[in-house]
Amino acid sequence: MLNYTFHWNQAFKALPQMLDGALVTLQIALLSMVIGLALALTLTAFRLSGNRILSGFATTWVEIARNTPALFQIYMAHFGLGNFGIHLSPYTALLVGIAFNNAGYLAENFRGALKAIPDTQTRAGRSLGMTPVQAFRLIVLPQMLRIAFLPVTNQMVWAILMTSLGVTVGMNTDLAGITQELNARSFRTFEFFALAAVIYYIIAKLVTLAARLLAARMFRY
Amino acid sequence: MFDTTLTWNDLAFLAQGAAMTLAVTAVSVTAGTVLGIIFGVLRVQLGAVWAAPLTFVLDVFRSVPLLIQLVLGNAIQAIAKLGWAPFTTSCVVLSLYTAAYCSEIIRGGIEAVPATTRRAARSLGMTWWQDMRYIVAPLATRVSLPAWIGLTLGVMKDSALVLWLGLIELLRASQILVTRLQEPLFILLICGVIYFVISFPIARFGGYLEKRWSPND
Amino acid sequence: MKFSVLAFSLLATTVLTSQAHADKLDDIISSGTLRCAVVLDFPPMGSRDESNNPIGFDVDYCNDLAKALGVTAEIVETPFPERIPALMSGRVDVGVASTSDTLERAKTVGMTVPYFAFEMAVTANEKSGVKSFEDMKGKVVGATAGTYEAIALEQQVKAWGAGEFRPYQTQADVFLALSQGQLDATVSTSTVAQANVKTGKFPGIAVVGKAPFDIDYVALFTNREEYGLINYLNLFINQQVRTGRYAELYGKWVGGEVPSLSVNGVYR
Repeated sequence: MLNYTFHWNQAFKALPQMLDGALVTLQIALLSMVIGLALALTLTAFRLSGNRILSGFATTWVEIARNTPALFQIYMAHFGLGNFGIHLSPYTALLVGIAFNNAGYLAENFRGALKAIPDTQTRAGRSLGMTPVQAFRLIVLPQMLRIAFLPVTNQMVWAILMTSLGVTVGMNTDLAGITQELNARSFRTFEFFALAAVIYYIIAKLVTLAARLLAARMFRY
Repeated sequence: MFDTTLTWNDLAFLAQGAAMTLAVTAVSVTAGTVLGIIFGVLRVQLGAVWAAPLTFVLDVFRSVPLLIQLVLGNAIQAIAKLGWAPFTTSCVVLSLYTAAYCSEIIRGGIEAVPATTRRAARSLGMTWWQDMRYIVAPLATRVSLPAWIGLTLGVMKDSALVLWLGLIELLRASQILVTRLQEPLFILLICGVIYFVISFPIARFGGYLEKRWSPND
Repeated sequence: MKFSVLAFSLLATTVLTSQAHADKLDDIISSGTLRCAVVLDFPPMGSRDESNNPIGFDVDYCNDLAKALGVTAEIVETPFPERIPALMSGRVDVGVASTSDTLERAKTVGMTVPYFAFEMAVTANEKSGVKSFEDMKGKVVGATAGTYEAIALEQQVKAWGAGEFRPYQTQADVFLALSQGQLDATVSTSTVAQANVKTGKFPGIAVVGKAPFDIDYVALFTNREEYGLINYLNLFINQQVRTGRYAELYGKWVGGEVPSLSVNGVYR
């Protein structure tokens, strides 16, 4: 019935190349998370600042990031900005797009986490003589990060999955880019993409496992 | 910037693209939710050990990029000579993708119903089915619905990827117009606005429900 | 009586078995439609007109083929990466999609003799200062992923050891990036380059010269084992040239000197 002979050795020969791509994928995902976390904390601070313009800016960012497709955001970072003469390389455009997306979702996670921390704690801190910044940094922030840890881990997995969208803006060094190029050359779609799927799965699982171990160390009571 | 050669004809073309996005989303979310409920209930009933194979398969759908899933799904249907149109392939892959996330939401919802409540129901003489129908379903819905709305919107946005298979949805329609008219920024902005207009009100409604039904507020 | 029964049953068996062994050529003729995979963001080979209907050389070529077979043509738009899955799954019968006949690909699909030949041209953004193929050294260059020219250009960039190569998934994205200045130059088929520059929609780009790559012969393709259909397609391509239809279509969509489809000094 199946009129298709699998050419697996062709795919396995390309494995080292694909693993190199997997490293680039992991690198972009990690970088985008670091940038995204920094941006998300800034956006959260903006929202808490009480300044209308700042919190309006933060809300706009979060809503755009959460209500348009990631593919659209990455495409925009490359071709949209290109219209203004701002030229981001595929690598940078992909990083900017994912970091923008991460920041939006993470800021929303932080907002949810903040709501779970009773206001009375801040007030108690203040009455002990802490400044607002001290109260936030020493009392609220540690708890917020603990509550938000699981969503942050999920976002990291998302970031890995989103890197695959780089092929649409000319990215050819990450796992999806390399897989697609191998496929275009030989037309052996199934073999190459099946192998890529396995590698993505392993990366995602390793990251989740690492996050669990980290959480166990960091959040011991 | 507003000096554009975009015609009403082209806007209609974009609207068709948006309709395709909505159609793919509607089919996938409907099928994915039904499957997700079945898988979710199965996972709770079977327990972690017996449901492990199912959990593993569903986990794969959440750990592999959707783009790879779509290309792979298309290659599989090609090898099996099923001859599916891109629309069918897209909907099947997206449904399974939705089901994977949905089963997680359903499981969370069911497990959020206190065991004592369920035991009380059963000791009142309710059957398993009655317990599910009259006790678990209403309570679990409250927990699950906001997350489910989030999932629906997520699938709507992720459906942009079906353009890879040649389906002309909203983003692909925009790209075609960009190719012809060479006004990338303007057309992409319109495309972004359409996504936003579809997604934002529903997201807000979900947020409202979450706030209203949240037990801690 | 006995003889006629025997003859009838023999006839019946022949009909039945021959139906069971119907190949793709028979399937196309009996179904009455020929489904062609065509790439529609590859002008002048395939594109869309103002009302977004498919037009181009490949579209006309598919229509001619359908006419020869006595069936109606159906154009199935496939992005470059989806040409093969579309064929494998039986969604299309033939690819009329400017597909380079590489040996690597022929391991997977059946290629006909060439039905078109491209020469490679360098198109550059005027600000980049690229005036010839050699000027591309050290610049950011790109091409459509997986095409003949992309593979050759990427190797060239590696050989130069300077500059950057970027593959885009569609030809349209390559020219968009080029006109925005994201790419300094691209190598594409000269027909595609001229068609894109001629539209006037990409300000600031120009065809600056030829690329010293071999001629890119493109073939029709179908399933590897469909010899009957491949035979028919080969003859069809031959007839298109013989009857002057190839030259006519070339004049309609491209213009200029009609490229030869034969290679000197070797049979195929």
